[in-house]
Order: sequence, then C-alpha cells, then structure tokens
Amino acid sequence: MSFIPWFLGDAGFTFTVDPLSCWFLAIIGAAGLPVLIFAPGYLQHLRHRVSLNLVWVALILLMISMAGVVMAANAILFLVAWEVMSLSSFALVTADHEQRDNRRAAIIYLGATRAGTAFLMIGFLWTHHLTGSWVFSEWSVSGAAALVPALLIFVGLATKAGCWPFHLWLPIAHPAAPAPVSALMSGVMIKTAIYAMIRLFILDNHFVLPLLGPILLILGAISAFWGVIFALLQHDLKRLLAYHSVENIGIILMGLGVSLLGQRYHLPLLEQLGLAAALFHTLNHAIFKSLLFLGAGAVDACTHLRDIEKLGGLVHRMPWTTGAFVAGSAAICALPPLNGFASEWLLYQGFFNLAMDAPSAGLRFGALLLMGWLALVGALAIACFVKAVGVVFLGSPRSRRAARATEAGRGMVVAQVLPALMCIALGVAAPAVLGQLGRITSRLGDPSPLYHAWTIPLALIALLLACTAGGLAMWMAALSRLLPARRFITWECGFGNLGPRTQYTATSFAQPISRIFGAVYSYTVDINVKGRNRRYFPDKVTAETAHEAYLETKVYTPLLQSIKRMAGIFLMRLQAGSIHQYLIYMALMLGLLLWVGVS
Amino acid sequence: MNSLFLPLFHLINLLLLPLLLMGIIRKVKAVMQNRTGAPLLQPFYDMAKFIRKAETISGNAGWIFVWAPRVGLAVAVIAAILVPWAGVLLPPGWAPATNFLLMLYLLTLGKFFTMLAALDTGSAFGGLGASREATISMLAEPALIIALGALALGAGSTDLMTIYSSPASPFIALLAGAGLVITALAELSRMPVDDPTTHLELTMVHEAMILEYSGRSLAMIEYATALRACIFFGLAVQTLLQAWPAFHALPLLLHYAASLLGLVMLGISVAVAEGILVKLKWRSVPNFLTFAVVLSLLAAVIAAVQS
Repeated sequence: MSFIPWFLGDAGFTFTVDPLSCWFLAIIGAAGLPVLIFAPGYLQHLRHRVSLNLVWVALILLMISMAGVVMAANAILFLVAWEVMSLSSFALVTADHEQRDNRRAAIIYLGATRAGTAFLMIGFLWTHHLTGSWVFSEWSVSGAAALVPALLIFVGLATKAGCWPFHLWLPIAHPAAPAPVSALMSGVMIKTAIYAMIRLFILDNHFVLPLLGPILLILGAISAFWGVIFALLQHDLKRLLAYHSVENIGIILMGLGVSLLGQRYHLPLLEQLGLAAALFHTLNHAIFKSLLFLGAGAVDACTHLRDIEKLGGLVHRMPWTTGAFVAGSAAICALPPLNGFASEWLLYQGFFNLAMDAPSAGLRFGALLLMGWLALVGALAIACFVKAVGVVFLGSPRSRRAARATEAGRGMVVAQVLPALMCIALGVAAPAVLGQLGRITSRLGDPSPLYHAWTIPLALIALLLACTAGGLAMWMAALSRLLPARRFITWECGFGNLGPRTQYTATSFAQPISRIFGAVYSYTVDINVKGRNRRYFPDKVTAETAHEAYLETKVYTPLLQSIKRMAGIFLMRLQAGSIHQYLIYMALMLGLLLWVGVS
Repeated sequence: MNSLFLPLFHLINLLLLPLLLMGIIRKVKAVMQNRTGAPLLQPFYDMAKFIRKAETISGNAGWIFVWAPRVGLAVAVIAAILVPWAGVLLPPGWAPATNFLLMLYLLTLGKFFTMLAALDTGSAFGGLGASREATISMLAEPALIIALGALALGAGSTDLMTIYSSPASPFIALLAGAGLVITALAELSRMPVDDPTTHLELTMVHEAMILEYSGRSLAMIEYATALRACIFFGLAVQTLLQAWPAFHALPLLLHYAASLLGLVMLGISVAVAEGILVKLKWRSVPNFLTFAVVLSLLAAVIAAVQS
C-alpha cells in the first residue's frame, strides 16, 4: 500500500500492510484498548503532579507512531516513526518529573534510545550504501558484506527490545512512567523491535547471516534467566514486572533463534514453529504484561504504594483487581490453559524438534538443555509471581494505607478484566490463533505442518478442569450446608495476636533462591542483632539484603564515566560558550554542505 | 478384552491405589521403626473422617484459600487419568492428551494455587513452606523436563503414551529413571528433602503450606497428594521399566501387574529409605537435587549422541 508519493523519491510515505504488520497492529490494538480504558481513571490520582494534556498527547502519538513503525515500507519512514515513538515515550517517562528518580530514569531512557537509534541509523545507511535503496523489500544482502550492517541493526533493535546486555534502561524507565504508559511500553513498544527483527532477518531474508540464529538463542536464553532472577529481588511491583519483560523478550528471541536455525539447516517445521512461538508469545506477553502493569497501577492508585513489603490483604479490598492479577500471573507463568502456556508449549516443541532433527550431537544436546533452561525460567517466574501475588494481595495488610484501600473505579476494573478474559480465550482457542499465524509463516513455506504440530487438546483439558473443580466445589458446598465452615484466627502457636509483621516478606520469600544464584549478583544478607543479651533476649534485630548488578557496576558505569571524562576533555573546548566560535562553526558547516552539494 | 478391563483398571488406579500406596509406605516405615503402626487402610479411614468433619478457615483467607484444594484435586485427577503411571492403558487415540509438558505444567497449576493459598492466611509457616516449595520446584522441574525430553527423543514424540510404548535405550532409561526418582522425592516433599510426618518443625515444606487446612479441604489435599505421589513415582517406575526390553511385549494384564509391582516396590524402598536416612539440612537440598539434574543431563547426552 502506498499513498502520497512525496518528493522524497523512493523513500516517500509508503506503507506495507501484510499479515506480519497486521499481527503487530492487532497487538497494538489488543493491548492499547484496555490501556485507554484504564488511563482516565488512573490519571485522576496523578492530576496534581502531571500535566494530563501532555500525557494524552504523548500517549496518542505513541500509539500512532507504533502503528507507523510496523507499517513503514522504507527505512526513512521507519526511522521517523521510530524516533517519534522514542521521543513520545520519553515525554511520558518524564511526565511525573517531580520525583528525582523519575528524572534520572528519563535521562537514562533518553540516552539508551539515542544509542539504539544511532546503531540503527548507521546500519540503515550502510545497507543503503550496499543496496542503493531505502525500501525494505529491495534490500538483500548476504555473505561477508551483511555482517556489519546486520549486527549494527541488530544492536539497535536489541537495545529497544531490552535484550541482555542492552536491557539496562528497561527496568529503570518502565516503572517511572504512569502505569498505563508502562503497560504500553512493556507490552507493545519493545515489541516493535521484535517486529523489525522478524521483518529484516527472518521473513524475507533481507540479511542472510548464519551466525544470527545461535546469537539469538544465546542472548535470548541469558535474557530470560537474567530478567527473572533480578525480578525476584525487586520490591517495587512495577520494577519487578519490568524485569519480567526482559525475561519474556528472551523467550521471544529464543523462538526467533529456533526459526533461524531451522532456516539454516533447512528444517521447514522448525522454521515455522520457532517463528509461530515467537509471534504468539509476543501477542500473549503484550496482553498479560499490560494486564499486570494495569493491576500494579490500580494498586498504586488505590493505596499510593509501590513497595510490596507495605502491601497485603488486598484480596478482600480489591477483589476484581486481585482476580485479574492472579489470571495474568498464571498466564505469564505459562500455566495451562492460559495463553502463556500455549506459546511456551510451541517453543518447547521447537526445541524438541531441534533436538530430534539437528545435524550435530552438540546442537541436539543444546536443544535438550534449552528445554531444561526454559523449565528453570518458568519455575523461577512462578516463584516470583507467587511472591508478588502473595505479598501484595494475600495475607493481612502490612500498612495502614493498604488496610484502607478500596476497589479501583469501574473503568479500571473493566480494563483489567478484559485482558484477563483475553488470556483465557487465547489459550483455549490456540488452534485458531495458529491458523492466523499460518498466514504469516506461509511466507516461509507450506504452513500445514505447523497446524499439525499443535496436538494437545488444551480446550478439552480446560473444560475438564472447570467441570471437575466446579463439581468438587458443588459437592463441598452441599457438605457445608450440613456442617458450615467456621471462621477463626490463623493459628499462632498459642502466642496470641499475630501481627502483620510476622508474615513472610517478599525478601524472605525470595531469599532461598537468591542465595542459590548469589554468585550472579553477589547476594548478601546482613543480620544485625543488638541488645545486652544478644543471644536470648535481643532488643533489636535488623536484616538487610544487598546485591550488585555486575553489568551495571563493572561495565556500564566505567564506560559512561570514561565517556564523560573524554567529553570533558574534548567537547568542552568545542562548546566553550563563545558566540564567535559558534558563528565560525556555522560558516564552516555551510561551506561543507555547499561543497558536498556541488561535488 | 481391553474395553472390559481398562475402565476397571482406571477405577482401581484412581480410587484405591493412591491411598493404598500411602498406607503401604506408612506401614513399612512403622515396621522399620519397630512400631505396629496404623492399619494399612488408615488413609481411607482418615479420608472418611476428614470428609465428615466441618472445617475451620482462617479469618484472613480469601477465595484463593478456598479454591486451591479444589483446583489442586481437579488437576491431580485429570493428570492421574491421563498420565500412564500404571502402564499404558488408554487407547492410542488419547496419546496427544498425555503430552508430558502439558501434564507437568498442569500439575504446576495446582502447585501454584497451593503456594498462593499458603500465603493467603498470613501465617509465617505458610510463607516458609511456599518459599521452599518454590525453590525445590525450581531445581526439580528442569531435571524432570530434561529427563523426560531425553527419553522422548528416542520415541520421537512428547506424548507420554508414545514414549512409554516405544522401546528406549536402557542407559537412557536407567539414568532418566534415577533422575526421576530423585525429583519425585523432592516434588512430593519426602525424605531426605522434607519430612512428611513432622507437623511443627521448621524443616517442613509441604506440611507447612497446608497447616491451616482442616476437614473437607484437608481431605481433598491429602487425596491430591496421594494422586501426585502415584503420578511421580509411576513416571519413575515406568521409565526404569523401559530398561527392560521385554516390558513392551508383555500382555496387558502382566504389563499392568508389573507396573503396579514396580510402584509398590518403589513405595517400599522410599519407606525404607525414610527409615534409614535423616532429613538433609535445608541448605544441602539444592546439592541433592543437583544429582537429579546431572543424571538427566547424562541421559540427555546419550540421547543426543544416539539419535
């Protein structure tokens, strides 16, 4: 589709809307709808700190630019939409700028988007130099020439996607934005990078790079693990969810890696399974992650708390939010019959088929190992979400604010129930979703093996589960009419009066797992006992946990410091504050442009 | 003949065996400890007693606490019907429903709700148990999936029925089976990972999670636990039996009998082990589970090289 051929030559306002674009447009719509229903109610509690006009304008710009990114037919338009997307989301991250942390987050986010776009831009320019065209469909680069531009583009996209080791900005920027924006950024915006990866590297073979499959698998595996173990340590509900985005991007990238390996070894089923798993998981993650962020937003709006150690007992006060959040948690933990299970099952099948058909024993073993790896990541996600749901919504309230919470407004509740229903529907109707996915993967070959790869009767299992659990509940209800259940206090070993402080905290819940992986982030627990008779009658016991993210402290901080130092040495001379100097620069630049234009 | 026996077998599998296996384990353990012990059928009597009693629910608890036992039992029943833990008894058309990833994740759904229910009452015991359960399953699940994946590689399918009705290499079967026995001990919270008989020790995992349950809900939990024990022990037994080449060729009745015999023998050896072993220190449990991971990785190496 192309219209308004502007004076930009072959890089006009041209759009392509093929099944792949449609899929991502559907994702934008599916996650955008609940976000837009949620936003008015949520933004009420921010109205004194945040300019609502700015938020709405930027939010709409963000939605439009995301649609632009997935429809752009040429690199220039893509970059323009990409930049509008980055800047409008920056405006949203910085919306609540009265808090110092949010300003810092906004600067880090801006820096990350600049770096990412720089890589992307150089990659696009390089490819233009090689192919002489801006139009994506005319790009075709292979062999050694493809290596550098493809890697540059990949780094640019991976920065936006939040793939390890470029994920650093993501857990800082996403929590800083208002919750509906976090939902949109985590759920959809980072997926535009996945879209571009599929478009450029997988679907149409614009870049033929055999290395990319293993790279994607390894980076995806690291991202998935990295995201989830750091998520376990978080106390801020939104930051916890942001780390889970890193995890899920890892899972999606593993799917893409499987697809590329299938392409490399000419295994058509693998190619389709990997891509289908990645695309399906992209949709699923968009839905359950926006649901979870909206839940976090509802909790934030109703209690003004984001520290999960101060929450608790919301299941009685906010039943709808709790129900939707539990459904979202079950979906993100890949529990059947919800949608997260359907896409992760496809990825497992991809790994299993790789283990059967790969030409070398090492690769076959690696594929089996990846199955175990995915199970590990899944089990860690379960631990993390049991922690989050348990500490935020269950037990008794740990602070007065949590005790006084009331259910969110009607719009906010509807906005959460809607994606929760979508999570169930997409899981039960997975074969229908695969039918849609076949339209995209048919570009790689006949999609019928993909349809046959889906063997499990998930809908039937869901029905059986509902009937059995419902039947048991009815039987129990009949029994309790004869002998009603008694309500009594939680058993307190006879000590009397269990306070909310005696409950398990999120930190203690995560401690056993954090200790096992302590080497990854030098996890330490410092227990301090004070008092005269410290052993038997301590006056005060405090425990503090600490961890260090090596990637930040050992790599990024020194790097940024040295860039700052170099800038101090060199850039300061260029930008000395003298107007004469600047006039000379302008004259020199004008001369340079004239010379370039003439020659 | 099959059409006559299969429903009967299934009824026995579901209604009698799980509780009977629990009774056998308890009885053998009592004998090991020089006690007379409770009657073999005590789990059945307990079940009848629990059902007749009214339950007490913590004032803190919400709908998750109420629904967790129902979901847990429903999940366990469905898994117990589909997983071929007492030999391959279902007609071949059922194979896709017995996918091992589906079954394991389905059982995890029950575990997810049990862990949440433990946190629902606000009791510190519940949190302790849930946290440890999450840690154990984080270590056990990769081992389970790699072991079954290695076994599935030979069969060319992830459906348990297909896996257990096609011949496997004895080495893979033994290694994967040994890995599965260890993970089963962990998943079922048995010695040396957890002590299922203690009720108020800081060592416990599963019992700490269900501490607040009583009456009918406790009955459902106990029954689900017994079903899960049969499923996990049965998977381990079936995998170990794969090492016996003639096992597939046995007629249906003998196949079933051999499976049950294996199950009972594993139950007895677990009970003997519980009589001899001491519970591991909590901090050594990850090391113990690492054995399971290593065993299944070895099975995976052999499977990768052979296929």
